[in-house]
Amino acid sequence: MIEVNSISFRYHEDWVLRDVSFRVEKGEFVGVIGPNGSGKTTLLKILYRLLAPQHGEILFELVPMKKMDRADIAKRIAVVAQETHLLFPFTVLETVLMGRSPYLGNLMFESEKDVEIARKAMEWTSIFPLSERPMDELSGGERQRVFIARALAQEPEVILLDEPTANLDIHHQIDFLDLILALNRERGLTLVMASHDMNMASEFCDRLILLQKGRIYKTGPPGEVITKENIESVYGCEVWIDQHPISGMPRISLMKKGGIKR
Amino acid sequence: MSSGRSFLKTNFAIDLPYPNPFPSREKGKRMVFIFLPLIPLLFLILSFSISYSTGRTFKDEVGKEVTFPFPPKRIVSLAPNITEILFALGLDKEIVGVSIHCNFPEKARTKVRVGSYIRLDFEKIISLNPDLILATGAGNTRGMVDRLGELGFSTYVIYPKNFGDILKNIVHIGQVVNREKEASVIIEGMKKRSQAVIELAKGIPRPKVFIQIGDAPMVTVGKGSFADDLIRLAGGENIAEKEKEVYPRLGMEEILKRSPEVIVISSMKPNGDYQKIFQEWNRWKTIPAVKNGRVHIMDSDLIDRPSPRIIDGLEELARILHPERFKNNSKLVLQNGLRSLLIIH
Amino acid sequence: MKIVTSKKVLTISILLSLLLILVILVSVTLGSVKVPPLRSIRILFLSLLGLKGAGSETERTIILSLRLPRAILAGLVGAGLSVSGATFQALLRNPLADPYILGVSSGAAVGAVIAILLGLGTFSFGLPLASFLGALVTILVVFYFGREDGKIHPNTLLLAGVITGSFLSALIMFFISVSRREELHTIIFWLMGDFSLSNARAILIIFPYILLGVSLLYLRSRQLNLILSGEENAVRLGVDVEKLKLLSYLLASLITAASVSACGLIGFVGLIIPHSVRLIFGPDHRLLIPSAALLGASFLIASDTLARTLLAPVELPVGVITAALGGPFFIYLLRTRKAIRTL
Repeated sequence: MIEVNSISFRYHEDWVLRDVSFRVEKGEFVGVIGPNGSGKTTLLKILYRLLAPQHGEILFELVPMKKMDRADIAKRIAVVAQETHLLFPFTVLETVLMGRSPYLGNLMFESEKDVEIARKAMEWTSIFPLSERPMDELSGGERQRVFIARALAQEPEVILLDEPTANLDIHHQIDFLDLILALNRERGLTLVMASHDMNMASEFCDRLILLQKGRIYKTGPPGEVITKENIESVYGCEVWIDQHPISGMPRISLMKKGGIKR
Repeated sequence: MSSGRSFLKTNFAIDLPYPNPFPSREKGKRMVFIFLPLIPLLFLILSFSISYSTGRTFKDEVGKEVTFPFPPKRIVSLAPNITEILFALGLDKEIVGVSIHCNFPEKARTKVRVGSYIRLDFEKIISLNPDLILATGAGNTRGMVDRLGELGFSTYVIYPKNFGDILKNIVHIGQVVNREKEASVIIEGMKKRSQAVIELAKGIPRPKVFIQIGDAPMVTVGKGSFADDLIRLAGGENIAEKEKEVYPRLGMEEILKRSPEVIVISSMKPNGDYQKIFQEWNRWKTIPAVKNGRVHIMDSDLIDRPSPRIIDGLEELARILHPERFKNNSKLVLQNGLRSLLIIH
Repeated sequence: MKIVTSKKVLTISILLSLLLILVILVSVTLGSVKVPPLRSIRILFLSLLGLKGAGSETERTIILSLRLPRAILAGLVGAGLSVSGATFQALLRNPLADPYILGVSSGAAVGAVIAILLGLGTFSFGLPLASFLGALVTILVVFYFGREDGKIHPNTLLLAGVITGSFLSALIMFFISVSRREELHTIIFWLMGDFSLSNARAILIIFPYILLGVSLLYLRSRQLNLILSGEENAVRLGVDVEKLKLLSYLLASLITAASVSACGLIGFVGLIIPHSVRLIFGPDHRLLIPSAALLGASFLIASDTLARTLLAPVELPVGVITAALGGPFFIYLLRTRKAIRTL
């Protein structure tokens, strides 16, 4: 579905991404992991065309992305990312309705159909009871769900997520991830998630892409990517890898320098 | 040609940007619309023919042609010097409106106020229905005069820039209000008195003079101001006469350097409290004027206002500059309206 | 479900328009010369029909050539400044932004001051033209410096605007220091905001700018909502953000330029009205822009009416009234805000 061909990108003098190529198939849940500065967020920004790579191209269902206009992109790809603090708070409903924007074009007001789609998105994310609440009165977890609802209102084929569970308590993290997993499994949404929480990526993603300094170090199912050699090579520190007792997926445990004993 | 208010100009329907939203359809309305304007048109034609012989056109001091019924029976003055001139010419009931600054003569204070140098109460002026408005280019704004024109008023503008111009103003205003004889009497008097002062001040050394017209900041009078002319005519030397601005600001250092022999404070409140001002000056005892006790106060209306009383200011100033010459000349001491204080150290 | 619909916008606009008409009517009946209110209103309505019927020539001149143009001009400027202020607040994502924050007003002031010093102080032509030119030049300069890599960066724009504004203000102070007494008076009164020379021509000149500016901004109000949550977010939702920023900046600046050229600097309106409207009706620009325009118009007409009648025949600068009225009103709104936003 998404084909990334040898893209390279830089902001100023240093290349942030070098010669990155990969594919994302329809219905996949891909995780992008790597140290800070490896280019995870930049890669996502390129995927939804906020930034354009200096070299290489990206094809979305065989159409080069540089030929698509913004609204088209927004109808197919939705993004859930860190939000800046709101200046003038809108209500939950108003926020979710903003997701209908790519379909409205120059129209000023949303139609009944748009409101219906927003309502369904809010029900799916269990936030419908919060419709009239202003955004600044919600908790972190509730806010994240509003943003997913807004993304769903865009009726996308792909959702990109950038560090979606940073700053969330574990119960909110679990809720969130279960939600997007359901989106992926039950509704066939393709997901690409950038995260620095590798265990979480390992648990939930079908496939992982490990970045190091702007290049792909390894890509494949979690079992192949999260190995002692790969992690120690990319992160430069000792780790302990075993298997999650229930799911069987690889699990990273931190090791203090100087051994395990206290 | 027309009366003081041009009737054509007051057709308000043309002035407004609104189109007529109710085009008449019924015949009856149409008839009314046809006949209604005919009636005022009739009056218009009649009024033209009646007033044709009594309106006159003059060219004012800024080159504008001004037309109004002659002689004007309802006059508004927009500046205090103009008001003084009008009263001096013998007018009183013809003056229907003055500015808030008009304070002389006493009678002026009882007249209706129409605004300040820069803000006019146009509604008031309209309600007074003047034949003629007099304004000064050295005070009133062009925007104001234009607006008065838009509203249909005839405004005659004078523009005094020096002492000699004041005499011209009086002549012109005299012509415009049909008091030419009275004007020439005033002019003669002023010429004679100023000549007398020049004579008396001839041949004696010219003291250096500093006239202060503001105190924070310290503003004085330069070339182009009336006070500067007065100093010269009264036989003095203005320490600021070489400055480029009309009202230059001199720092204290500069004043100390130029050591004036006489200091005159031009004050708007002639009966106010001067202790503070004199204390201020007393700090600078190196200034000859301060050392010799020649710090005086004069009513600013006398040296700053281009009116007939400028002559009083001239005489007063001469007396201050050359006290030896005027000691026995009673004619020049304490005339009408003079208020001044001599401080002896 | 409570969202902003076209019906809601229409209803509220009609209500606020009625308020505006009421304010205009009251304004036309008040003044330093007493004209009976009913007669004033009759004069007004009859003239709309093209008829003369009521009142003397004097009264009709006062109502139709003085009070009415003044009310209309104040209304236009009040609407323009309010919408421009709201737009800058969205564009710069800064609640302290007002129409003058990007230096446009200082540019207009410099133009006006130069015109006054050169003796072109005619209200009907030279002054407004010169100040408009000054504003245009400033818009271009700030715009040029506010861009990086061909894109408008709000923080850079803000910096460029504030610095340019400061520089121009210093220039104005310099001009003031070398001006003569008569000019000084004119300059200062212009700077304080003045509607006393309002005439039909001025209205015709600025009317298209205000109308154009406000309408075009209104058409973009949904996108302005999106840009409030961040430019990246707006891009994610399909908005051409650079085009939106460019258009908003130019239109809002143009509105400000026209307003300042017509009547000098009137503060407070562009800051207080948008915030007050947000506290009552919410931040959605589809409702905010028309409401701010109508409410701003009513507010400035009311302020100007007070300015010229409170101490007649002396006329207060209208900026004094807008500050005196606006400040406390806004504080009051802030305190009761939880109860207000019910729409």
